[in-house]
Amino acid sequence: MPVVTLYFNRIGKLLGRKVSREKITSTLPFLGLDIEEETSDHINVEYSPNRPDFSTDYGVATGLQGILEIKLGIPSLKIKKGKHAIRADSSVGKIRPYIVAIEATNGKMDDETIRQIITMQEDLHNGIGRRRKKVSIGMHDLDKIKFPLVYKTVERTHKFVPLNSQDAMTASEILEKTETGLAYRHLLEANKVPVIVDLAGNTISFPPIINSKLTEVTSKSKNLLVEVTANDRSAAEDALAVVAYALQNAGFTLSSVRILGPRNSAPQLQSRKMLLDSALVNDILGLDLTLPAMVKSLKKNRLDAKIKGRQIQCLIPRYRTDIFGPIDLVEEVALGYGIENLDYTIPEAKSAGQKNKTTIALEAVRDTMVGLGYLEVMNFGLVGKQTQYDMTKRDPSGMISVADSKSQEHQILRDMILPGLVDTLSRNIHELYPQKIFETGIVFHRENPINEEVHLACTSAHNDVSYTEIKSVLQSLLKSGFDISCTTKNSQSPLFIEGRTADILVDGKKIGMIGELSPQVLDNFKMRVPAAGFEIRLTGLIF
Amino acid sequence: MSQVLHPIEQKILRSLLEKQTVTPEELAEKTQLSIDQIRRGIEWLKFKGLVQVAESEKSFVNLGARGKEALEKGLPERQLVGYLRSIPVSSCEMSQAKDYMKNEFSPAIANAKKNKWIEIYENRILLRGYHDATPEEKIIKTIASKSPNAMAADEIDDKEALDSLKKRPGFLDFTSTKYTTVNITEKGTVEAHNASEVADDSVKRAIDVEAPAPVVFAAKSHPLADVIGEVREIFVSLGFTELVGNSSQSSFWNFDALFIPQDHPAREMQDTFYIKDMSAKSVATPKQIKQVLLEHKNGWHYDWQLDTARKMVLRTHTTCITIRELADKKYDEARLFSIGRVYRNEKVSYKHLVEFNQVEGVVVGKRVTLRDLMGLQMEFYRKMGIKKAKFWPTFFPYTEPSLQSMIYNERLGKWVELFGMGIFRPEVTKPLGIKDPVLAWGGGIERIAMLRYNLDDVRELYNNKFSWLRSVPKCQ
Repeated sequence: MPVVTLYFNRIGKLLGRKVSREKITSTLPFLGLDIEEETSDHINVEYSPNRPDFSTDYGVATGLQGILEIKLGIPSLKIKKGKHAIRADSSVGKIRPYIVAIEATNGKMDDETIRQIITMQEDLHNGIGRRRKKVSIGMHDLDKIKFPLVYKTVERTHKFVPLNSQDAMTASEILEKTETGLAYRHLLEANKVPVIVDLAGNTISFPPIINSKLTEVTSKSKNLLVEVTANDRSAAEDALAVVAYALQNAGFTLSSVRILGPRNSAPQLQSRKMLLDSALVNDILGLDLTLPAMVKSLKKNRLDAKIKGRQIQCLIPRYRTDIFGPIDLVEEVALGYGIENLDYTIPEAKSAGQKNKTTIALEAVRDTMVGLGYLEVMNFGLVGKQTQYDMTKRDPSGMISVADSKSQEHQILRDMILPGLVDTLSRNIHELYPQKIFETGIVFHRENPINEEVHLACTSAHNDVSYTEIKSVLQSLLKSGFDISCTTKNSQSPLFIEGRTADILVDGKKIGMIGELSPQVLDNFKMRVPAAGFEIRLTGLIF
Repeated sequence: MSQVLHPIEQKILRSLLEKQTVTPEELAEKTQLSIDQIRRGIEWLKFKGLVQVAESEKSFVNLGARGKEALEKGLPERQLVGYLRSIPVSSCEMSQAKDYMKNEFSPAIANAKKNKWIEIYENRILLRGYHDATPEEKIIKTIASKSPNAMAADEIDDKEALDSLKKRPGFLDFTSTKYTTVNITEKGTVEAHNASEVADDSVKRAIDVEAPAPVVFAAKSHPLADVIGEVREIFVSLGFTELVGNSSQSSFWNFDALFIPQDHPAREMQDTFYIKDMSAKSVATPKQIKQVLLEHKNGWHYDWQLDTARKMVLRTHTTCITIRELADKKYDEARLFSIGRVYRNEKVSYKHLVEFNQVEGVVVGKRVTLRDLMGLQMEFYRKMGIKKAKFWPTFFPYTEPSLQSMIYNERLGKWVELFGMGIFRPEVTKPLGIKDPVLAWGGGIERIAMLRYNLDDVRELYNNKFSWLRSVPKCQ
């Protein structure tokens, strides 16, 4: 989850009223914000990516103002008509078709403001922007730009001085040599690449990769241009809206930028209207709220609301991209009303509950194994290839792997429990013997596409262990647990000693294997004490 | 009054009457008891003041490199004598002897003089007297007779000669070994005599009922399995019916049916385990697929791909099981739950596992409300023995409103997150033909188990350390 940093002195100023630190920290969770870290002068707060407006302290302050009833209703967005234009060339149509922009002038940027805006930009890239694939944002020092701008494609030999560099580089060099180039070059597949060029011929941006050095925003920048390029028009507007509100809150004056060119037009940043049925609110929340109470709750969440008969007409600011329909407004009412004010009710059950029949049979297996003196262990189903196949010398041809696991020990789905039990024994060689353990759990086989079965496996390890001992356990489990008789038939397996291993058959069908574990396998696991064991399939046998 | 002694104790004491200072190994040999029994018996006897236990050090000697050489060729002084005998006049210039003896010249001269075998006259060496075996030579032979074993230094009687040889570097190697000896005390001697007098087997012998007994371990179910069982019982007691389902699922039921767009970050490989090169042949009914497709198009404005929905994943939550059941069965009213393994492609740490157990409950009904959802939570927590709980708003892609429950961890003295919950979004229920509201909640069971067993590292639940499994009390 993304994180926003809140300095208490800044938040205090932004709220416009003195609010104690305790009040702020105890209120934040009721905006859906989790406090991750608290220090003497600031806190770090996790916010959900569906609320990109919380990516700056400006947005959080706007939310706090509502819930603390300092300011209610929708915050206004004032955009003056600007005089500059960007023309999108038809050549970008197949690569990254959309561009929108806004100007922010007469602002002051201190270091913390710049930091807030840069982290907002990064969070938007990752969230709405889907790691820049869908949307990317460029911010520029407006005073370095000669309008109009052209958004077009160029050859990869096109040269300019990118951010964080002193020398001009070609687009190819940027993609191959710079950090952001390497991270995002997969987003540019075509031969030509998109750039934004100004009237003086200067390249100001190479979306979605990097801006130019020329237009770098510093603490001296007073006037900004924000451009958003995208593969999805409404996502571009979402991102631009979030940035526009934040910059307005930071003290900038906003002006529109005309957008020309095929498929492109001026961004729509105005608020949306949505009707909310009061009955839906009361049905879902289990309350009996009056319409004015609902209106107030909505306003506390910085929406506008007006009563229209039995319905409420809501006005939703453009940055609230998380609101899809009336049900989202119900939650807004709940938050405004206060989750902590909702009394609990316990609905009565109409019928008795019931365990699954698989669970009941499995409990019987586990109880019987414990009765036979076996300790239950629990391993993972997603395991390492080494223990599952290499060390147990088994054939890995039917192996099922997962893609891109972060851990060596969790790469494949187990098709058998026994290797895990031998591994468990090997991790406990310093503990007292005899060691008798069992495990029940799911194993996986390739079959249209995957067949999952529940297995039971057990092992006994001590100096006098024998095939006979473990066969007694098997017989007793099946007989006293389920009145099932089994037979054992001479067989072979790399896990077990030849001549001391057998297939387990019930009604002539193989349900598992039993035997004394091969000394070579035990040696691979650095085990010094002999062990015997069996594994049976329970699916199809007892459920 | 005489004490009651265990047969092991009696055997040890009787043996100690014969030889007063012995090692445990010697005792084991004499009494035919195992070394563990001897050690245990000695501990008991020591505690009762009947024996004393001492840690001693014993010195052992073996031939060094030069010692072995001397065994073959004789000591340097013997070699010098041999040389003098071999030349015609049995005498020679000092320089001549020096050439012959090389480095060994000085010790050879000194010791031969000490043995009165030679005299030095005007820089010539003259052979004198008898040349019997010296005490040093005898010691070398004695030690060699035990070879390759070292010989206890105290078994050599001629201490003077041993010291003299010890001073000559390289001839002897000394090593020392620590060992335990047991001595019988006076009180022990009395007890031993008493004990040997009782020999009537027809009477059931009294035993030391106060003596500690050996430890045995009860076989039992896994502590985490116990918590899972407890959670299940509570759900059943609240009127819920259990569902089971597969761990491997198509993306359709794990994500698409829950209105999670196909480009959502949670669906990326770095968070979700995709099964390599595997897609489901059929994922849902044509109607279900069509409705879900339309919902994604309208809600998220993108081209929904069936092939993406076919990709097999390890389920990231058990919601895929409940949603499918609700979609297939169209209940008017139901209370369902499921417990099972879920998988997340994370780095394993004290906080995170890649595979863990999740419980999930749903309630379907015409008039179920958010307050009901909260009430059911409180009822569940009360039954689990959790006293303090509260709710905070949160976000999940498939529920609205969404809450998370926070419970108070007494040991850590802070609030910790437990379950996530909410009411399924209409974008989830409507396309699948579910008409009534569905309350849903769920969370990791390991988190509850960690609270129960006071663990700070979630990995301990899957370490299968017998020391922990055998010792952790069944009833917490």
